[in-house]
Amino acid sequence: MNLQKVVSGFFFILAMTINFGFFYGDIDNPELHSEYELFVAFVVSLISTVLKIGDKTQLGAVLLATSLVADIQLLSAVIVWTVTEYLSIVDVEAFAAIISLSGGALLANITSVVLYVGETLKSKR
Amino acid sequence: MSNNAFWIILQKLRAPLLVIIITYSIAILGMVLIPGMDDNGKVYHLSFFDAFYFVSYMASTIGFGEAPYTFTYAQRLWVTLCIYITVVGWFYGIGALVTAVTDKTLKFEMMRNRFRKKVREIRDDFVIILGYTYVNLEIIKKFHASNIKVVLIDEDEEKISHFLLEEASQDVPVMVGNALLTETLEDAGILLSNCKAIVSLFKNEENNLRIAILTKFLNSKVKVIAKSTYKDITVSLLDTDIAKAVNPFEIFTKRVDIALESPHILVLENWIYENSDLMDKAMFLPKGKYIVCGYGRFGKLLHDMFEKHNLESVFIDEKRIASVEMIESRKFIRANPDDRETLLNAGVKEAVGLIVGTQNDIDNLSIIITAKKLNPNIYLIARENTMQEVSIFQAAKIDWLFMFEKILINKTSLALTRPLKHRFLKLILKKDEEWGKKLVRLLRVNIGTNPIITSLKINENDSYAIYHEILDGQNVPVDVLLRSLSNWQENNKIVPLLIHRANEEILIPKNRDLKIGDEILFACDKKGKEEIELIASNIYELYYAMYGQEKESPILKKLLG
Repeated sequence: MNLQKVVSGFFFILAMTINFGFFYGDIDNPELHSEYELFVAFVVSLISTVLKIGDKTQLGAVLLATSLVADIQLLSAVIVWTVTEYLSIVDVEAFAAIISLSGGALLANITSVVLYVGETLKSKR
Repeated sequence: MSNNAFWIILQKLRAPLLVIIITYSIAILGMVLIPGMDDNGKVYHLSFFDAFYFVSYMASTIGFGEAPYTFTYAQRLWVTLCIYITVVGWFYGIGALVTAVTDKTLKFEMMRNRFRKKVREIRDDFVIILGYTYVNLEIIKKFHASNIKVVLIDEDEEKISHFLLEEASQDVPVMVGNALLTETLEDAGILLSNCKAIVSLFKNEENNLRIAILTKFLNSKVKVIAKSTYKDITVSLLDTDIAKAVNPFEIFTKRVDIALESPHILVLENWIYENSDLMDKAMFLPKGKYIVCGYGRFGKLLHDMFEKHNLESVFIDEKRIASVEMIESRKFIRANPDDRETLLNAGVKEAVGLIVGTQNDIDNLSIIITAKKLNPNIYLIARENTMQEVSIFQAAKIDWLFMFEKILINKTSLALTRPLKHRFLKLILKKDEEWGKKLVRLLRVNIGTNPIITSLKINENDSYAIYHEILDGQNVPVDVLLRSLSNWQENNKIVPLLIHRANEEILIPKNRDLKIGDEILFACDKKGKEEIELIASNIYELYYAMYGQEKESPILKKLLG
């Protein structure tokens, strides 16, 4: 067993699960979506991006790309939330945008985990 | 992925990035969770944005103060802790970034990228030169003089820095790298179609062989010029089919050989190398006993050569040992040549010539002075090793001074920059004294003491008029090119030296018809060179030179009916 594999696998999957936790619930009901969850999802996503840097294989490149997509989606969600809140224009439309952005990030995270698991299954060691 | 430098930075920054992300998120989360108090004493929580804003300026030590309200003690306790973890993380990150940027591998990658780009921007033919030495610097200068581009590789970074201070380094892509690696050679553009040759004159001759073999597999169209003084390496080099072995010891021995038998050929050789004018008095080397100081690879070649001429020779060397046979017949003395007794012992008084070939200039000079005292009439041939002692060597009145480095420079650059001249030289070295004497006389009478050498190729670009004349089925003899354009019955000061075509080489051609693809070498004066070019490319001048009449312009002919 390889500690590095445990750590990176942990973060890749955590990024997906927390993202799902934030995404789950009615898209227009702010009470069902915790801002703390979004914060943690974003931080974990950043961490998993950094963990993916340095793998120069073809698969490593695709993994990094999915992670970057998740980062950008989550960052957009965070920015939309912050801006609308401070300008006091939080409405259903803005909130739906936040949730759907995180939904996109969730798809990217799922792709990343599927690829990661696939690679692990293929590995002979 | 091609951009290696970028990935090196990212990979080095992985750990600091993680540290920064984790410390920031802990600090931000803490700031959001710990309750604060506003101006009216009401409990309030910092939003994520407030917390991020505060932590950002705290961690980077900018410190705008407590915002949006003065902190409570609970908050200050947390901030105290955060200052230590985030500031340390931040500094660690910046430190790692600076280290990564100044990192050696990164610098190397960036230099390599620049080098690769510069090499691939070269449009003309170019030559790769391995190693920066005095010899290679001179070769680079000669290449520049004939407009051939050069790429230089050396393993030593300091040497590259030295080279960059030289004037000749302009427009020369340079790289620090090990030339024995395929990767380095590929960076230097060995796979490009305009890479014509690679010059490998390493002292360690096995490296030269290795370069030749690598080149053969990478791109067999590239010529390899390699130094080789050992027999087995030379054989292996020639086996690669693409390599030319240059052995300065052999070249110089051949010169002594020629000087003994046919000094006029040597006069011609020196003229071709542009070492001197065509001298009239070609001197035979005196025949008799020779003393040679130094019995290495060079000494052995000299020994064989003297045997061939049936001349007596004595070798003196302190370190090396010769065969028992030679010692018994007193042809080898193991002693320090820089010694009166040794020289007397070797028979300096009755010897006609002395060849000093040790690797130490001061020793060489000292031997010469001693020998000259013992026998003032002796013919002195001396080896010069470094450029530093030039004036002393000149003052010592040596009859024949040679330098292996110069031989290497001349030979290598001639073979690559003027291949036709090089071919001519190779052919005349096989000729005898009678032939050489005749040619020297012919050149001196027809042209003068210092004719210039020029060449012409029969193709559409270089000789438009002749090319089309031949295509039309006319016979154009080489003599047409010699005629004067002011009076076609007279000749300019030109001597054709060589016609080179597919399977034929004609020395001093007369009345030969030219063919398409021929390369012709001329000795001539300045005016002759101009008129050769005119006749070759201008249809009216060619017509005049051939028939002695003005050619009518085809357009005017049509217009005037």
